[in-house]
Amino acid sequence: MKNITIILFLLLGCSSVLGQTITGNVADASGQPLPGVSIIVSGTTRGTTTDFDGNYSITAETGDTLEFTYLGMEPKEIIVGLNSVIDVSMEEDSEQLDEVIVTAFGISQEKKALGYAAQSIDADAISQTKQTNLVNALQGQVAGVQITNSGGAPGQSARIIIRGINSLDPAADNQPLFVIDGVPIDNSTVESPNTPRGLSNRAADINPADVESMSVLKGAAATALYGVRAANGAVIITTKKGQKGQVRINLNTSVGFEELNRLPELQTQYGQGFSGEYDPTSFWPSWGAPISEVAQTVPGHKYQDNWNRAFNTGVQSDHSISISGGGENATFYGSFGRFDQKGIIPFSDWARTSAKLSGTVKVSEKFDFSGSINYTNSGGNRVPHDRFMERMMYWAETQDVRDYINPDGTMKTYGNTNPIYDARFSTYEDNVNRVIGNLNFNYSPTDWLMLSYRIGTDFYSDMRSEITPGPKGIDGENSLSSTGFIEETRINSKDITSNLYVTLKKQWNDDWNTSLRLGNDIFQRKFDRVTATGEDFVIPEFYNLNNTRQIFASQNKSIRRLVGFYGDLMVNYKDFLYLNLTGRNDISSTLPKDNNSFFYPSVNLGYVFSESFELPQWFTFGKLRGSWAQVGKDTNPHILGATFVSPSVFPLDGQVGFSRNSTFGDPSLKPELTTSIEFGAQLSFFQSRLDIDVTYYKSNAEDQIIPVPISDGTGFSEYITNAGEIENSGVELVLGVDIIKTDNFQWTTTANLSKNDNEIKAIREGIEEIVVGSQFGYAGSTVTMKLIEGEAYGNLYGTSYQRFGADEDALFLQRGLPVIIGDDGFPERNANQLILGNAVPKWIGGVRNQLTYKNFELNFLIDFRADVEQYNQYDNFLSAFGKNEYTLARNDLRIFDGVLEDGSANTQEVWLGQGVGPDGRDYGAGFWRNDYRGITENFVQDASFVKLRNISLTYTLGNKILDRIPFSSLRVSLAANNIILYSPWDGFDPESFSAGAGGNAIGFTGLGFPGTQSYFLTFNFGL
Amino acid sequence: MKIINRTKGIVAIGLVFMVLACDSYLDVNENPNNPQDAPISGLMINSTYESALNVYRIGDIVSNYVQYLASPNPASASDTMEPVSNNNTWFSLYNVMTDLTVLIDKAEEQGAGHYQGAAEVLMALNLGMTVDIFGDIPFSESFNFETVTPKYDADQELYGVVMNYLDIGISHLNGETTATMGSDDFIYQGDVAKWLAFANMLKARYMIHLKNTGSYSSEEVLASVDNGFQSGDDNAGVNFFEQSINPWAEVARDNADLLLGGWISEQFIQALDGTSYNTVDPRLPLMVGATDDGQYIGTENGAGRGDAPEQGARSTLIEGQYYTSVTSPILIATYSEQKFIEAEAAFATDKSRSYQAYLDGIVAHMNMLGVPQTDIDTYLAGPDVSMGESAFTLNDIFKEKWVALFLHPESWNDARRFDYQYENFTLPANLNPDLSGQFIRRLPYPDSETSRNGNNVPEVTLLDRIFWDTE
Repeated sequence: MKNITIILFLLLGCSSVLGQTITGNVADASGQPLPGVSIIVSGTTRGTTTDFDGNYSITAETGDTLEFTYLGMEPKEIIVGLNSVIDVSMEEDSEQLDEVIVTAFGISQEKKALGYAAQSIDADAISQTKQTNLVNALQGQVAGVQITNSGGAPGQSARIIIRGINSLDPAADNQPLFVIDGVPIDNSTVESPNTPRGLSNRAADINPADVESMSVLKGAAATALYGVRAANGAVIITTKKGQKGQVRINLNTSVGFEELNRLPELQTQYGQGFSGEYDPTSFWPSWGAPISEVAQTVPGHKYQDNWNRAFNTGVQSDHSISISGGGENATFYGSFGRFDQKGIIPFSDWARTSAKLSGTVKVSEKFDFSGSINYTNSGGNRVPHDRFMERMMYWAETQDVRDYINPDGTMKTYGNTNPIYDARFSTYEDNVNRVIGNLNFNYSPTDWLMLSYRIGTDFYSDMRSEITPGPKGIDGENSLSSTGFIEETRINSKDITSNLYVTLKKQWNDDWNTSLRLGNDIFQRKFDRVTATGEDFVIPEFYNLNNTRQIFASQNKSIRRLVGFYGDLMVNYKDFLYLNLTGRNDISSTLPKDNNSFFYPSVNLGYVFSESFELPQWFTFGKLRGSWAQVGKDTNPHILGATFVSPSVFPLDGQVGFSRNSTFGDPSLKPELTTSIEFGAQLSFFQSRLDIDVTYYKSNAEDQIIPVPISDGTGFSEYITNAGEIENSGVELVLGVDIIKTDNFQWTTTANLSKNDNEIKAIREGIEEIVVGSQFGYAGSTVTMKLIEGEAYGNLYGTSYQRFGADEDALFLQRGLPVIIGDDGFPERNANQLILGNAVPKWIGGVRNQLTYKNFELNFLIDFRADVEQYNQYDNFLSAFGKNEYTLARNDLRIFDGVLEDGSANTQEVWLGQGVGPDGRDYGAGFWRNDYRGITENFVQDASFVKLRNISLTYTLGNKILDRIPFSSLRVSLAANNIILYSPWDGFDPESFSAGAGGNAIGFTGLGFPGTQSYFLTFNFGL
Repeated sequence: MKIINRTKGIVAIGLVFMVLACDSYLDVNENPNNPQDAPISGLMINSTYESALNVYRIGDIVSNYVQYLASPNPASASDTMEPVSNNNTWFSLYNVMTDLTVLIDKAEEQGAGHYQGAAEVLMALNLGMTVDIFGDIPFSESFNFETVTPKYDADQELYGVVMNYLDIGISHLNGETTATMGSDDFIYQGDVAKWLAFANMLKARYMIHLKNTGSYSSEEVLASVDNGFQSGDDNAGVNFFEQSINPWAEVARDNADLLLGGWISEQFIQALDGTSYNTVDPRLPLMVGATDDGQYIGTENGAGRGDAPEQGARSTLIEGQYYTSVTSPILIATYSEQKFIEAEAAFATDKSRSYQAYLDGIVAHMNMLGVPQTDIDTYLAGPDVSMGESAFTLNDIFKEKWVALFLHPESWNDARRFDYQYENFTLPANLNPDLSGQFIRRLPYPDSETSRNGNNVPEVTLLDRIFWDTE
C-alpha cells in the first residue's frame, strides 16, 4: 500500500514551488478552448499543457516569457506581468490547418503525433460537393476510400469501402463504422425485398450542413479503440458547436436541377415488330421495319425519342438555418434543415427534415457536460427503377411513352406495360423517424486526471408501405397485377452506446510526456422488423390490409450486445518521437460463450525526424511512421447451432409447417482476427507549399467467419464457421500543393491516389468457390461473381467465345487468341465459366482544386477509378431487343474474324439479319439474338471513369457592402455536379449498380437508377 | 488502512458483480426468430407438402425428356438434353430427407409410431426419387454432420435402403402410437390405412424398376399391389391452396402472362389426337389447351415455336384443367399407376390379369379426369385400345401408363426402362451432340455439389445408366 501512496505522490508532485501561479485559458480565435496547448516558461525547463477545457496553470515570475505553441496555430509569446490570470487567444496558422485531426472517441489529436495515416475534410469541402448524402461528400477526397453512388434516385444509398473488401462472406457489411460526436450510428441500407427501389443508407439522415469535419480512420491501428465494430475502419463526424461570443445566425438556401447524365448509344432507325416486319401490337420493340419506311403509310409513325422524354428534370431544394452562440460557461447550437428532391424518373422523390440542438455547459473548473439531440424525418416514394428500366427496354420506340394513361385512369398501352404508369402507381414509400442523441460528462478533480462518461443513442423507426394496385374492374383494362397487393413494413432499431473512461496525463519532465486512457464501452442494438402483406384487393383502389383476401405476416428481430475494456497509452518524447500502445478486450453476445471474450493489441510509432535533425531550410517537416495492429471481429447475432424455420408459405389451411434451417452455425465459432501493418511518411517542403504523404499497408483477415457452402447431403447447405483468409495491400499517396500564393490570388491543389491489391489466400479445404452473386443475362450470358483461392475479390465469370489454342485449364479468358468460327459461319460459344474481368477497381483517386481571387472562389473536384470491369446488363438487354446502335448492323453480310476448328482463317460470309437472308439461308432470330446476346464476354466491359465530380464558383460579399446591409456575411455560389464524365463504358453512368450499398455484388450494373448531373444555385447569409 | 481494505472489498465485490452481470447481460443470443426445436406435427406438415413439391420439381425437369412438354424456344437445354444443373431440386430433396431424419428420430423418442412410419414411407419416396435421377448419391454419411463432404453410396445399395424404409414404415404404421396424425398430414389427413396402402404401392413401384435386374420377383410385386391402393380414393397427393397455388397452374398462369412455359410436345398431342394411334383420346381436351382456332397443335422438342407467336397458336397448359387448377393436387402415386404396375408384373405370368389391370388403369385415369362414361366406352372400344388379350403387348401398357402419368416423374423411369420405344418418339431437334444420337439416361450432378463436395462426386456422362436401367 505504501508503494502506491508513494507513486501517487510522485504523480502529483512534479511542479516546483517557486514564483507565482499563473492560470488562464487558451482558446482559438472563435473562443473555442484549445486542449493540449504546450506552455513553456522561456529559458527554463518548466512547462505544462492545457487541459480539455483549455485551462492551464504554471508557475512563473513577473518578467518571464510564456511560450504558447500548438500545432495548427501561430506560436505566441506573452510576458508575465502583474496579473496572475492570462487568457490567450491563438490565431490559426493557415499553413497547417489540416494538422489537427479528430480520432477515436472524438479526441482531437495533432496529426504529427499519429503513427498511422488519417485524413479529414472540413465543412467547406463537404458543403462544396453539394451532396445530400454525407457518404457521397467523401467521394474522391480521401486516399484509399472508395465511394460508389449506387444510383441517381433521390436519397439513394452510397457505398463506402476503405482499403478493399475484408470479408469472404458475400453478405458481410464491409463498410466502416460511422461515429458522430463520439457516438456510433447506424449506416445500414435496407433495400426493398421485392424489386430494387434505391433505398437510403442511414447516414443520409444526417444534414451535411451540421457537420464541421469528417475524419477517416483507415487502418486497424486507427480504430483499435472502437473495437470490433470498426474493423473496416471508421468515419468520425464532428458536428458544429456553438462558440463563445455573439449569437450567430446562418441561413443557407440552395436550389438545384438535375438530369440524366449519360445514355447508351442507341439506334433510331428500326421500329416495332420482328424479322424486319412492322407490327403495331408486337411485343418486340425494335426488330421491325425501318421507321421511315413505315411512316410513309402510317401517319404519325416516328421515332419518339422516348429515352430522352421519359426522364424528367429533377428539382431539389435545400434550406437550413442555424443559430449558435455562447457565453463564458455555456454554448449552444441549434439548426433546422429541410431538403426536398424530385428525381429524374417520374414520381420519384425524397425529403429530409432535420433539427438539431446541442450545447455545452461548464459547471465549474472541474466539471463540464455537453449534449446534443438530432431529430430527422426522411423518406419518399421509391420508384421501381429496375422495372422502369426494364419496361423502357420493352417499350416500342415508335410509341409515345409519355402517353401512358386513359381518362378512366387505366393504363394506355399497345400491349406492353408502360414504365411511367408503373412508376406512378406501384408505389413504395418509406418514412423514417430518427433520434440521435448524446450526453457527455467530464470531471477533472485534478489537472492530471479526468473522468469522462458518454452515453449515446440512435433510435429510428422506418415505416414502409408498398402498393401495387390490382384491376380497377374496368372492361379491357391492362392492370399492373391480376390481384394487387399491399405490403406494410415496420422496422424499429435502437442503438445504445455507453462509454466510461479515465484519462491520466503526466508530463514527467521536459522530454517525457505521457497520457493513459482506460475505459469501458458497452453497445447494444435491438432490431425488429415486422412485415404484413395483403394480396388481392376486394374493393379496387382502397389500399388497406383489411381490404385484402389473403394476409401474410413475418417477423425478424435481433439483439446484439458488446462489452469492451480498453487501454490507450501515448508517450511523447521531446515532441519528435511518439509511441502509442493500445489494447482492447471485447466480449460479444454473438459468439459462443467459451470464445466470446477476445483481446487484441496495437502499437504505432511516429518519428518526426525534422525535429531531431538539422534539415535544409526548404525541408519544412518530415515524419516517418509505422504501426502494427490487430482487431477482432464478432459475427451476426443468433446464428449459432441449428434452428428450425417455418417457411414463408405457411400457414396453409391453418397449418404451420417447420423445416430445419439449412444454415448451421458452428457452436465453437471463434472471433475473426485482422492483422495489419502500415508504414508511411509525411513530408512537407518550402514552408508547406508542398505536402506529401505516402502510406503502404497490408492487412490479413484470418479465421474469417463465413457461411461456407457445403454439400446439401450433409443436411445443411451453409456452415458458418471460421475459414479462409483474405489479404489487402496497397499504397496511398496524398499530395498538397499551394501552386500560387499571392495576396489576391491563391491556388491550392490536393490530390490523392491509391492502389489496392486483394488476394483470397484460403477458403477451406474441399471448398472450391464462394458465389457472391449473379445477374441474369439472356441466353446463358448470366454473369456470376465468385471467390476462389489465389485470386482477387470480385472476379466475374461467364460464357465467352471459343478461342483457338486456349489452355483448357485456364481460369481466365485468353482474349488475345483468335476466335473459333463454327461451320455455320458464326463465332462458337464457350459455355465454360471463365474469368472475364474484375469488378473491384485497383486504382482510385481524386484531385481537388481551390482557386481564390479576391472575393471569388473556384473549386473543382475530379475523381477517377481505373482497372475495373463490370457486367453491362443493360447492353445485354439492348442487344437482345435490337435497340443499341451496333444492332443497326442487322442486315449486313459479314465474314467473322477468326479461325475454323483446324486453325485456318474463316472465309464464310453470313448474314446478320432475321429470317431468310439474301443467300436463301434461314437465319432464324438473327446474329444478335442467336449469338451475340448469349456471350457474357460481350458485356463484361471496362467501367473505368474520370468525372468532374463537382465544380463551384462562389462570390463572397466584401465588407464595404456588408456594412450597408443587415448581414454579417453573404455568399452566392453556382455549382455543377457530374457534368463531365469520361468512360469507355457504353451505357448509363457506370457508377450506378443494382444491389444498393448494402450488398457486395458491385460488378452488376443491371437496371440501376441512372446517374445524373446537376446544377445548383446557393445563397448563404450570416447574421 | 481500514478504509483501504474496505475500498478493496467494495472494488472486489463490484468486479464480481460486473463479471456476473456481464455474463447474463451478454446471454441474449438465443434465436428469437427460429425455434431450437420443432414439433413432429410441424415437421409432418412441411414434409408432406414438400414431398409433393419434389414430385412436381422432378416432373418439371423430366417432362421435356418424356416429351409431355416442349420448350417454346429453340435448342432449349431441357429439350435438347444438355447438362442442366439442378441445384434447387437437389437441395429440396435433401432438405426434405433432412427433416424426415429429424422427424423419425423425434417420433421414435416420443413413441409416435404412426408419425415415424409415415416419415419412413416419405423417406423411401424421396430417396427413391433421388436415386432414380442421380444414381449414386450421399446418404450413409448424411444428416449427422460428421463430415462436410459426405461420400456417395451406390445406387443399388440405396434401393435396399428404400425397401427397408418401406418395410419398417409399414411395421410402424401397423404398430402403437402415442400421437395421432390428423390435418397435419397433407396427404391423407391421418388415415393410417391409406398410408399402409401407399407404402405397399411404393414397394410395387420400386420393385417394378428392378424387372430387368437379378433381384426381381413378380410375385412380390403383385403381393404389394394386393396390399396397395384399392381405388382412386386411395391416391396419394397433396391438394394445393388459394394462398399457394398448384405449381402447374402457376406455369399455365405465367404462360398466359407471357412468361413462356408449359408448351405441349408434338409427341404428346399426336399420341392422343389420332395421329400416332388410330383412336382419338377423349382426355386430350381435359389435359391441355387448344389454339385460338380450337386446334391441338404441339411444339417440336428442341425446335422451338418457329414462326408461331407467343400465344394462341400452340397447345399449352391452361389454368383450370385437372392438372392445372389452383387447388389441383400434385399426385404422388395413383391407383391408375398401380394398375399399370400390376399389368406389367402379371404380364409374363398371368396375362389375363395383366390385360384387365391395363384396362382398369385406363379407366381409373379417365375417372380421375372426369371423362364422361360414354367417352370412356368409346375409347375402350377402339381397336388400338382393346386389342384383346392375345394381341396385347408390354408396349400398350407403357403407352397408356405414359398418358396416365402426365407430368409425373415416374414416366422418365418408365421411358428409360422402355428404352424410349413409344410410338413415333423421336430425338429432339438440336440434340446435345455429346449424346451421340441417343436419349438421355440420367441427370448430371448439380454444380452446387461439384463445387462443395467435388472430391466425392463421381464422374458421369449423361449416357451412364442407373443400375436398374439395363441395356
